[in-house]
Amino acid sequence: MKEINELELPEDVRYSKDHEWAKSDGETIRIGVDDYAQDQLGDIVFVEMPEVGDKFGKDDVFGSIESVKAVADLFMPVGGEVTAINTDLEDAPELVNQSPYGDGWMIEIKVDNSSDLEDLMTKEAYLAVLQGSE
Amino acid sequence: MTTESKKTPLYDWHTAQGANMALFGGYTMPLWYPAGIKTEHLSVITHAGIFDTSHMAVVTITGSGAFSLLQKCFSKDLEACIGQKKAPLSSGRSVYGVFLNDKGEVIDDAVLSKIAENHYMVVVNAGMGNLISQLLMDNNEADDVVIIDLTDQLGKMDVQGPLSTKILNHVIKDADKIFNRFPYFSFKGHFDAGVPCEEPVLLNDGTPVLLSRTGYTGEFGFEIFVEKEHTVKLWELILDAGSSTGFIPCGLAARDSLRAGAGLPLSHQDVGPWLFCNNPWTFVLPYNKDQSGFSKKFTGDQALLLQEDAEFTYAFVGFDPRKIATEDADVYLNVDENESIGKILTCATDMAVGRHEEKIFSLASPNRPENFKPRGLSCGFIKVNTPLIEGQSLIIKDDRRKIKVVVTNDIRPDRTARRPIKEMLS
Repeated sequence: MKEINELELPEDVRYSKDHEWAKSDGETIRIGVDDYAQDQLGDIVFVEMPEVGDKFGKDDVFGSIESVKAVADLFMPVGGEVTAINTDLEDAPELVNQSPYGDGWMIEIKVDNSSDLEDLMTKEAYLAVLQGSE
Repeated sequence: MTTESKKTPLYDWHTAQGANMALFGGYTMPLWYPAGIKTEHLSVITHAGIFDTSHMAVVTITGSGAFSLLQKCFSKDLEACIGQKKAPLSSGRSVYGVFLNDKGEVIDDAVLSKIAENHYMVVVNAGMGNLISQLLMDNNEADDVVIIDLTDQLGKMDVQGPLSTKILNHVIKDADKIFNRFPYFSFKGHFDAGVPCEEPVLLNDGTPVLLSRTGYTGEFGFEIFVEKEHTVKLWELILDAGSSTGFIPCGLAARDSLRAGAGLPLSHQDVGPWLFCNNPWTFVLPYNKDQSGFSKKFTGDQALLLQEDAEFTYAFVGFDPRKIATEDADVYLNVDENESIGKILTCATDMAVGRHEEKIFSLASPNRPENFKPRGLSCGFIKVNTPLIEGQSLIIKDDRRKIKVVVTNDIRPDRTARRPIKEMLS
């Protein structure tokens, strides 16, 4: 597994304590799991997704992610309505390992409260959390 | 009593390679290496892999009373257990069976090998060497029987996968001769140079090994027993010999998913302290020809014939890779049913298989569809209170999810374990 200083943690996304990331693109917010989560889980074999139109509050479980080792819940970093899901993950769940912030994204939502995003952590704050939990 | 975990001779090697280590059977063992479980699992199906299995216990039984002692304690009838014709166990042959208690419950499962007349070797699970030695001593009535737990003096590694012989060719002296005629569940050589054997198996430097055509993956391969001091050397020699062929070290997690897909039980999980009957492995019991009784007397036989309150164990296979956490997971006949019919014993993902037009193929299936890229299927074993038939749909459920599975007789098709060795040499 990667050391914390080996993790890829881009500056242009925000992080949750549950290791999801969120990236704002004007109206919509794209959500996935971060490099730390995919690295901890190992080979991802299945991603259980919500449906377009489903509504979730912040911290609600919106799906699950399964690796050969374990199953983990996926938590909403911010509340909102699902507007798109990444259907590529159906046939290629390994995209989450290969490109957690790119082709391995999971859902897009219309956010309930755009200021929620500001409550999420910056890279620096998230790194401090990871280092603290070591 | 010490609670400190034991280490195999390869512990330092595993940690130096960045293996993820965990406690299993009292030993700190590699669960997976940096390559990951999926790669390790698939390599055994398409190429080969090597497993450190030095944690398994080895007990030898010698003396003129050894045969009758094993007849009493071990489930297989050693006078009638080899092949369709049920020939007696001969020197150089091994059989799989179980040790039962008076109640017909499993104490442990084992591979028993006949080294020579009045000389047997039993391989049991990690941490079980003491218990099985004691069981044998308690049941022994002969004066000359000697029971020795060799576990701490030996190293053991399993080379499993279709390329196994090609890799071992580079490590074993006169490999052509050794691999000529080598049936499934037979072995050659001995790790102790002092034990006379018809066909010794030596490494190129002369180190003696016991080479056994057995394993726990369902795939073609060997288990190799060697004196402890040679373990790391042998491991590195084999890895080096296979380095150009996609041959990698594999951990216990891949071992578990491979054995689950092969329909093999894990002792103390799929077989254990409950009546050993109505399960996929009753072929280890010494049934007589018309299956009306047993061909010998052995510990637990009466309880098995009575079969009081017996439950039913079946293999199952799912439709995608999703697993159910086995703690407190239940089995239901259909989605709306509230009453559980039993529990899940094992639930793993066999990463090498997938469904195509209602049929299961493996990456190694000769007739697999073109560009077949399996996503993996969940599989394992359930223990239920009612008899089921093959193909019966079930729902298995934990607190996270429910998934649909079906009762099956076979999970991963086209396994190579029993393939004639001639086919595996070319």
